[in-house]
Amino acid sequence: MSEEQTATAEEIAKEFKEHSVAEFFKKNMQMLGLTGKIKTLTTIVHEYVTNSLDACEEAKILPEIEVQIKELGAEYYEITVKDNGPGLTKETVGKALGQLLAGTKFHRMMQMRGQQGIGAAGCTMLSQITTGKASQVITGSGSGKVISLEITIDPKKNQPKIGNLAELKKPFRGTIIKAKFKGVKYVNSEQAPLEYLRRTAIANPHAQITLIEPSNQKIVFKRTLKDIPRQPLEIKPHPKGVTVDELITLSKYSDGKKVSSFLKNSFDRMGDKAVSEIAKNVSFDMNKDPKQLTWDDAEEVVKQFKNIAFIAPRTDGLRPIGEDRIKKSLSSIVKPEFLSVVTRKPTVYSGGFPFQVEIGIAYGGEAGRAGSVNEEGVVERKMEIMRFANRAPLLFDSGGCAITKAVQSIDWKRYGVKDFENAPMAIFVNLISVHIPYTSAGKQAISDEADIMEELRLALMESGRKAGAYISGKKREQEKKMKKELFFKFIPETANALFQITKAPANKLEKNLEQLVLEKLRLEEEEEPQEQPSAEEPAEEKGKKEKVKKDG
Amino acid sequence: MAEKKKKGKKKSVDEKMNPKEIADRLKVMAEGIVKDIHTNKDPTFRTMQRGKGNVEFSEDTKVLTLGDKTTSRNFLNIGHAKKFMQTMMVTSKTHSYLLENKTASIREVYYELKHTLGKSKENTFEDQTESDSCIVDLEHSVDTIREKLNLHANPKGTLYGDITLRDKKHFNDTFNASKLGRGGWSIMSRVEPEEIEIMKVSAEYVLVIETEAMYERLVEEGFAKKNNAILISTGGQAARGTRRLIHRIHKEANIPVYMFTDGDPYGWYIYSVVKQGSMALAAHSDFMAVPDARYIGMTLEDVEEFGLENVTEKMKDGDVKRAKEMLDYPWFQNKEWQAELKKSLNLKIRIEQQALANKSLSFVADEYLPKKIKKKDFLP
Repeated sequence: MSEEQTATAEEIAKEFKEHSVAEFFKKNMQMLGLTGKIKTLTTIVHEYVTNSLDACEEAKILPEIEVQIKELGAEYYEITVKDNGPGLTKETVGKALGQLLAGTKFHRMMQMRGQQGIGAAGCTMLSQITTGKASQVITGSGSGKVISLEITIDPKKNQPKIGNLAELKKPFRGTIIKAKFKGVKYVNSEQAPLEYLRRTAIANPHAQITLIEPSNQKIVFKRTLKDIPRQPLEIKPHPKGVTVDELITLSKYSDGKKVSSFLKNSFDRMGDKAVSEIAKNVSFDMNKDPKQLTWDDAEEVVKQFKNIAFIAPRTDGLRPIGEDRIKKSLSSIVKPEFLSVVTRKPTVYSGGFPFQVEIGIAYGGEAGRAGSVNEEGVVERKMEIMRFANRAPLLFDSGGCAITKAVQSIDWKRYGVKDFENAPMAIFVNLISVHIPYTSAGKQAISDEADIMEELRLALMESGRKAGAYISGKKREQEKKMKKELFFKFIPETANALFQITKAPANKLEKNLEQLVLEKLRLEEEEEPQEQPSAEEPAEEKGKKEKVKKDG
Repeated sequence: MAEKKKKGKKKSVDEKMNPKEIADRLKVMAEGIVKDIHTNKDPTFRTMQRGKGNVEFSEDTKVLTLGDKTTSRNFLNIGHAKKFMQTMMVTSKTHSYLLENKTASIREVYYELKHTLGKSKENTFEDQTESDSCIVDLEHSVDTIREKLNLHANPKGTLYGDITLRDKKHFNDTFNASKLGRGGWSIMSRVEPEEIEIMKVSAEYVLVIETEAMYERLVEEGFAKKNNAILISTGGQAARGTRRLIHRIHKEANIPVYMFTDGDPYGWYIYSVVKQGSMALAAHSDFMAVPDARYIGMTLEDVEEFGLENVTEKMKDGDVKRAKEMLDYPWFQNKEWQAELKKSLNLKIRIEQQALANKSLSFVADEYLPKKIKKKDFLP
């Protein structure tokens, strides 16, 4: 009886497993960010481009990526992404494109782009369930051997199925992926591939990115810098940031023989003193095999983590884009009149996760979202927030995102921006962390953790102050120009009238009147009070001091 | 005291000054400004402050007078620059009129000076009120009146009745205003004694009428002859020349002035301007106001007394606003006018002169006016 029951249960489990991958995928498309025809297309582009950028960076190659989107029919597109990366082998192709959730990115405490989305394998799956077609791959390492193949995923086994494998002799280095999708749509909106790639280019100035639109229009975002960013370091998790679930997962992967050595080797800032402190206060034997760690045991450990005063986590694993790089990049792509960039020092949220904030405020030029063309033929622009998490653009769920909330919490009037929503302004915000706290599995909005909000606000105020000085200066300049023009308009008639009555030479009167106006405007400028330091300054100073303490 | 002395001086000087002397005054003013420019000073001229803040109602003389507050107009003031330029243009133009011995209407001045400024879309003057206001500034700035600047307003107003005038500037023509046909005499914009002389007045009073139509009705009914009256129509707000003439007839012939307007705040305001002067020309009230003038009608009492309830009209928003303002004017602070204004604000109705035709065409001439004048049924 009991044997039979067990068998049945196993059978059910087996059956469930066989269907699970494809089913899970279909049922959870929403959770994976695959809602909406436009958003899905952008997500696909994101997955491929991210893989290419990460691969190039790891191989220390300056990325050159070309994305081509072809319209094959109604809501039916073919997407081709070509890179100059290190290429893939037959085995790595399978892992990268033919197996869901197989990435190496899980459980790595490392700042990486690919924390978002469905992965390139998800695209393979999406292509096959919407069109029944395989994805085509051509890849070479530059050594003269190139492989070409077609790949699908066996939904029962969650294993790659490779077909039409061929070897070619070509000096090609890089990877070309071509896949077809239905139920997607290409438009030109803020959430579409073009804007996604523009922002990717801004956050990755070392990459050259080309988009060929369905209309055959070719848009190139040129490389502005030729040095490859340093690789982020993998950092062990900090005890303060670990959940019970994560502790158990880590214990399963551990090479340690005892719980005590597992803890010491797996966590940042975990010394002998802390381990013995934990040993004293837990009910189980710390010498037991970490793979045997139960949920209750893990709960006890996490509780102890909370009680012990650990040194703040290392932050040296983070790799910001850097002020100079952001400046060059925004200058080249947004061409603003003024740019203020701030990269803050790294700090920590929730006690355990290092993170860092970078802000760029671009004003004038092509900064801001282009709107309608006004009477004078000038494109009117509105303020835009460009959100990035680990350099990857966030295009969706902006309202629920900590970055948006932080930007909106700032009193921009203080910085000379009167009509903030309609200011020709782009606010670039890059949040980097080994673990970005997203609000949902869709990974498009950052949760408003108090530490993150605080740091975002300080960074915005710092760069806002710089921008504010420019904006009010510019406004003064405009006002001055306007006044000058106004006075000058009335000079010739005034001079002529006086000449008619007195016969004093009109041109001399005109000249002297002009001098009088210029002198008056110069005096007015001198009398203008300088920008008052912001009342928010003290908070900023306080924040800095606290950080110094933490870092030490 | 100082103010009074200045005014006295102004009058006497004005009477004597010839065009060349006035032109010299303008030149002195312009030279002062040129000097400012060449010595790096803000180009400036002074004029009298006008408007409510500097207008007083004199309880002694019962007319509006201008206070002694002066104000400066500077070029280097973003709000004044255009006005400054405009005033210089008007000054230059009037200067040339004086030298060339020409006169022009203020509307002609406006059109002579109106053009676009350089390459801009802006005009030197957008409408006549702008040039008119420069003329007033200039009058005060060089202590004169526009007549002496060889400027005049558009003539408006008609005179009819047994009064003999002589036009000294036109062959010494001598005429009786009851012998010029039904059209009467068109009142000139300049009726200064050196141009128009009042020879003889046989009429017993002057009846000032707001509308041309009512004037024509009364002429047709033979009202002037039957009642031995002089009729003057203002055609709305009384022009400068008309006010000056009413003032002169009243003063020189010593006969009463009665005023007959529509029964609404606008008509009553026309009356008050004839009686005690206007804010805009408060400086010249001594020449123009007739503080002894009396108001015949129309009044809201008339509506009841003559049974005109069916021919009243609704007051417009502008009327209501004006009535409310008038309630506060010092020269309406008597119980009769307060009552009348309040009544109009209560009932929100107005009555036109011509509504009297509801009784019969001749009703106004045969009954309404004679009855009121006989009973001295006036408002102060």
